[in-house]
Order: sequence, then C-alpha cells, then structure tokens
Amino acid sequence: MSNTQLKYKDDEQAAGGTPAVARTITVAVAGNPNSGKSTLINAIAGTRLHVGNWAGVTVEKKEALFEFGGRKIRLVDLPGTYSLSPYSQEEIVARDYLVHERPDLIVNVVDATNLERNLYLTVQIMELGIPVVMALNIYDEAQEKGYRIDVKGIEEMLGVAVVPTSATKKTGLDELLKRVLDVADAGAGRAPRKLSYGEDVETAADYVAEALERNYPSLLERYPKRWLLLKIMEQDGQVLEKVNLPDQGFLEEALHHLKRAHGEDIESIMADVRYSLASGLTREILEKPELRQTELTEKIDRIVLNRFLGIPIFMAAMWLLFKLTFDLSAPFGEWIGAMTDGPFKRWASAILTPLGAPDWTVSLVNDGVIAGVGSVLVFVPVIFAMMFFITFLEGSGYMARAAFVMDRTMHSIGLHGKSFIPMLLGFGCNVPGIYATRTLENPKDKVLTALLVPLMSCGARLPVYVLFVGIFFPNNSSTVIWSLYIMGILLAVLMGLVFKRTLFRGEAPMFIMELPPYRMPSFSSLCVHTWEKGKHFLFKAGTYIFAVSVLVWFLLNLPWGVEHKRDSYLGQAGAAVAPIFEPVGFGTWEAASSLITGVIAKEIVVGTMGEIYAPKHGEEKKEIPTLQEDLKEVVTSFGEASVKAVKTLLYLPQPEEKEEDRGGLKLAIQGAFTPLTSYAFMVFVLLYMPCVVAIAAMRQEFGTWKWAGVGLLYQTALAWGAALIVYQGGRLLGLGG
Amino acid sequence: MIPLGLLSAGENGEIVEIMLGKGEGVPGGAGMDKTSVRVEEMGLRIGKNVEMLTNGGNTILLRVDEARIALARRMAMKIMVRR
Repeated sequence: MSNTQLKYKDDEQAAGGTPAVARTITVAVAGNPNSGKSTLINAIAGTRLHVGNWAGVTVEKKEALFEFGGRKIRLVDLPGTYSLSPYSQEEIVARDYLVHERPDLIVNVVDATNLERNLYLTVQIMELGIPVVMALNIYDEAQEKGYRIDVKGIEEMLGVAVVPTSATKKTGLDELLKRVLDVADAGAGRAPRKLSYGEDVETAADYVAEALERNYPSLLERYPKRWLLLKIMEQDGQVLEKVNLPDQGFLEEALHHLKRAHGEDIESIMADVRYSLASGLTREILEKPELRQTELTEKIDRIVLNRFLGIPIFMAAMWLLFKLTFDLSAPFGEWIGAMTDGPFKRWASAILTPLGAPDWTVSLVNDGVIAGVGSVLVFVPVIFAMMFFITFLEGSGYMARAAFVMDRTMHSIGLHGKSFIPMLLGFGCNVPGIYATRTLENPKDKVLTALLVPLMSCGARLPVYVLFVGIFFPNNSSTVIWSLYIMGILLAVLMGLVFKRTLFRGEAPMFIMELPPYRMPSFSSLCVHTWEKGKHFLFKAGTYIFAVSVLVWFLLNLPWGVEHKRDSYLGQAGAAVAPIFEPVGFGTWEAASSLITGVIAKEIVVGTMGEIYAPKHGEEKKEIPTLQEDLKEVVTSFGEASVKAVKTLLYLPQPEEKEEDRGGLKLAIQGAFTPLTSYAFMVFVLLYMPCVVAIAAMRQEFGTWKWAGVGLLYQTALAWGAALIVYQGGRLLGLGG
Repeated sequence: MIPLGLLSAGENGEIVEIMLGKGEGVPGGAGMDKTSVRVEEMGLRIGKNVEMLTNGGNTILLRVDEARIALARRMAMKIMVRR
C-alpha cells in the first residue's frame, strides 16, 4: 500500500467514516470451564453458531460469523481450559490455535466469583502478546456475594480492556463487543502489558532471547516472542519438538542461575510465578465481605450428595428424566410413524406414478427409502426430548453431581463417576451415549466406556421386546422386559471387569473435577444445545440409514422378479447364517434374516419379521384419501399428538387405543417360537452387535475402526453365549424348547 | 500436619505440601497428563485454604475459594494440610 493511499484512509477515519477496507475481525474466546463461556457465546451469537470439530480431534469447535456496529466479527470458541499447558487435548487445541492462527483479539471470559484461578489462565494468555478484552463474567453473582472488584485496577495492572458481563442476564454484552471493536482498531497498540516474572526469570529470558536472535532469528518471526522464550525455558516437549533447535547448549547456561536459586524444575517455578501474579492481582483488586454466607449450592449439595440420600435422589431424578422424555415424545413419534406410513407414501406414489415411473421405483421409494428412513425419524422426538432434559441436567449443574454420586459404583469396573453419564444416555439411544464419551479426559476411559455403552438397552430394542412379550409373556410383561434391562447392566459390569483385566490394565484413573454451582439454564440456551446435540443424529444417522435402507430393499427384491422372500438375496443370506443360531434355539432363515437387517437399527427386526411372516396380501382396494384429506390429517393428528403429550404429563385419562391389527404376524411368531426360544431371541437382540449408526459413531469418535471392531466382535460373541446359556439351560431345567 | 483426606466435613486446612510426584502421571489427555500440574491448576496450591465439604467414600469434595472440587481420596491422601 503506497503512502498516499494510507494517508487517504487515515483522513477518512479521522472524518468519522468507516475504514475503506472493513475486514473481518477474528476473535478467539478463551476461559476456564464453568466460567459461563458457552452461555456468553450463545447470548452473543445465538442461532448463528456453527458447531463442528477441531481438525483431527473430537473436541467440539464452535464458530459464529455476525455483524456488529457495521463490522464483521468471527467468533471462535476455544475449548474451556484451566491453563495452556500441553497436558490435555483441549489445552493443545486452544494454544495451537492462538499461536498458529493468531486471532486479532482474544476475549478472555473470567469468572468474577473465582478470580484467582481464572486469572492464572489470563496471565498465560497475556504471554501471547495478542490484544485481550476481558469479560468479567458472572459479575452479578459476585456483586450479590458482596464482592467489590476494582475493574479499573485490573485494566491498569494488566493493560487489557475489562468489561463486567452477565451472560445469563445478557448484560454488558454490547459494551463487550464495542470494546472488542475499539481494541481491534487500535491494533498492536493495545497489546497487553508485559508482566514481570521476577528478576531471575527475566534475566534468563533475556539470555535466551539473545541466543535466539543470534542463531535462529526466523523462529522469532514465526512465534509470539515472549511465549516462545518462556516455553523454551520450560522445555515444553511439544514446542521443542516443533522448533527443533539443533544446539540447546545456550539453554543450560541461561537456566543455570535460575536452577541454582529455585530448583531444577523450571516448569514448576514458572507455574508458581504465574500463580503468584494471579493471586497478587486478586488481593489488590478484590475485596470480599468479612463473613462468608453459606450458599444455596452448598445447602442443596448437603442433601443431594449425602451418603445415604445421594443414590436414591439420583435414581428418582433418572426415573423422572425417562418418564418425561418418553411421555412427552411418544405421541409425536407415533405421529411421525403414521405420517410416513400413510400420507408420505401416498404422495410419493401420486407423484411417481403419473411420471411413468416403473412399479419397482415406487416400491423402492416407499418400502425402501420412506419405510427405512421413516423408522429412524420415529425416534427423532424421543432423542430430542431426551437431549433437552439431559441438557437441562448439565446446565443446572446436576450432571456433575451424578458423576460424583456414582463414582464409587463405577470404580468397581475400573471407571470413575464421569463415565456414568454416557452410559445413562445409552438407555435412550446408544449413539449420543457414545458421543458423550468425549467429556472424559482419559483416552482409555473413553474407549472402555464406549465399549460398554451398547450394553445399555436402548429405545430401539424396546419394540422387539414389546412384540415378543405380548405374545409369550402377556401376564408378566413388565418383569420380563425389566429383566432384560438388568441383564444389560449386569453384563456391562462383568465386561467392565473383564476388560479391566485384559485390554485396559492399570490403576483406576485419578479423579478430579469441578462441581459447578447450581444455575437455572435459560430456555433459549437449552434449545440451542439440544439442537446441537440432536442434529448429529438427524443428519449423520439420516444419511447412513438412507443408504442402508435402499440396500436392504434391493436385497429383499433381488434377484430380479423373485417370487418368495426366502429366495431373495436376504433370504438366502438368512438361510446360510441360520445354522449358527441352531444351538441357541432360533435357527430359521426368517429369524436370521431379521437379525441381519436389525444391525441397521434394532427395531428393524420387527419390521423385517412383519414383511417376512405376513402372508402376501392381495391388492387392497381401500379408499385412497385425497391430498386435501391427507394434509388435514397431518395437521389435526399433530394437534392430537400435542394434546396427548400434555395429557400424559398431567396424568389425565386417555381414551383407549385401538389395538393394532397384527394378528397374522402374531400367529406366525407363535408357530415359530416358544416362550424359551423367544426369551433367548430377545437376549440376543439386546446384546448382539451395535447398530450401524452406533458403530459409525465409534469410528468417528476414535478415528479408527479398531474399537468399533472390538465392540462388534465381543458383543456378538457375548450375545451368542448368553442366548446359548438361556436356551440350553432352560431346556435342562425342563422349560421346553 | 495431616493428609487432606483425613479432614472431616466442615473442617478447614491450609495446604502445606503436595506430594503427588510429577512423574506419577495418569495416562490422561494427550497421553501425558501430570497429576500435580492438574491439581494445582484447579487451584489446590501450597498456602491455599480449603474446606472439606463431604468426606466419605472414594471421592471427597472440597471448597477452594468459590469453587467446589471433587477429588479422588488417593490423591487427597498425598496432599498435606495444617488445620
């Protein structure tokens, strides 16, 4: 850019106009976990948030692009961390971004009620020399506690802009963004103050700086200078590997005095220096009231974490979670089922037939795509409802307590309390359970937990139980279903013990976690997070299911013109596999075929059985509703579903449901199974390989097929073994077979 | 001086020594977690006053400033406090 142009631009700015080139300002948001960072970002960006993963890792990455004051701002949310050391995936992600991508500015979210620990991170962030705007968050609560914080004092001592905010009450957000623009425009002039780390450290740093300038000047251009000096002094493994210094002799000399005066461990020395700065600053700017009030959080915790009450309260909370989830969502699930079964199929035919599409295309669309994808869509309401309540438990702070309460139980299978949360989610659907393992820090815990999650009986297995129990155990149906859930849990404990002694030997992991204060999450943030969690299922599972549904349809209808389902490819495959199931009591091609299709999603077992066992019915000449009637039905039945959901919730009496006409299927199953073989079959369905969506989720989480493969093999073996014991054991006891 | 893990609920203590060795790591994070570093980052540092909130079972609950930190008993036994 020539001088004249620069002059022109300055003039324009001086005259109050916008700069000629309004480029996008990149703002990285960093802060401690539980500092209210997510809430703050949601409050600022709302629906403009885009959630993805950081390249190569499963740490969630949130970004938002929006305009404020006529300027484009790109927010990048860094993982919540307590420090920028290289000891966890989150920290590495955060610091790599700050060092290599060099955002224009960092918004450091600081919990005003926990200044010292939060400022420890601030001190480390300031080493990067990037302009910082501090959001002094949860400021309202700090004031309620009687804290007096000298905001101007922080600004002067650190040389950063400080804005008190409350993300939950949405105060201070505009001011925060205004200061972001101010600081971004001031550019390098607003770099934070360089804090003195004491004479000994600074002398050593100067020595290293000289050596680097002499021998490796290019390094100083590539990295933030002060940060690089300090990291080299700390001998940070990750940094040393990257900068690759051939001669480190100068380092010994530089650190000689420091080590003699303070000890060998430079990293600890530096951590102490940083922490003293944070704690000194806190003493200067924070005035706490003499008497500390016992907080509501502590009062609640005394009951919720009580040794005797903790587990019963937790159980009650879970019962409520399931009850609300299923009661609220079931009518909507049924509505979607009815829609895909009726109007959608009719519309598809109505569109395709006049276009001259051959019958097989119509059948592919209806029986393949709509039936297959529809069977998954039925579960969307349940999944979103569950995600909503789970988000509530997380946001309110109870989830961390559940982990605390269950820690003792989980220790027996070599895991700690945090692993309990994914397992719990598994009861709804294994897929979010597997995704939830990303909250665990230790990779070993992650894998072991994900391997055990599929043993939790998910909602998709329920239709299978309901069908068989209704036929063979009508009088003790709930006890039989309950026994299957319990069997899943007991086998998870057993397999946990087995894995602990084989694949995952070693000590139970060290447990340290923060229990956030109880807070009432806002409805809008609940919705945003529910959508973030649920859409994974909707999109990723949707594409998988779509593809496999088409495949299954072809397998059931090929070779071309196949008359009997038994002779289709699927039927042949079933017949080939059937002998394997002979010893466990259901060695028929029908059972085998439905189990094969059940790997797509376990509820498909029921659907396939319906297709296979049901006699080929002739062309039904039913009255076909018109488009208007269909549309009307779509709307009114949705209304009915809503009313039903509310009624169930309020325990109002409901009109009796009409029993679905499945007489043919029931008779056929009665002929093919006995009570004993049906129980063995249900056990097999409970345990055998996780559905493809769960397997895909494991592949995605761990970046390798290895653990998905291990899960597939051990579960299928376990399922076969358990079914064998049930069937042969039952026969020995004379229960018939 | 007694181990932190022996404080009973409601008692306060000042941390005087953290005996969690640097090398004694949990294979955590990117495979190189260091227990003592993690503990100190969470605010459990020498000179800090902590209050025992719940003590029983494998996991204890502490208050450090305004944060509640849950900690494995094994770790709490290696942090020394003065009542």
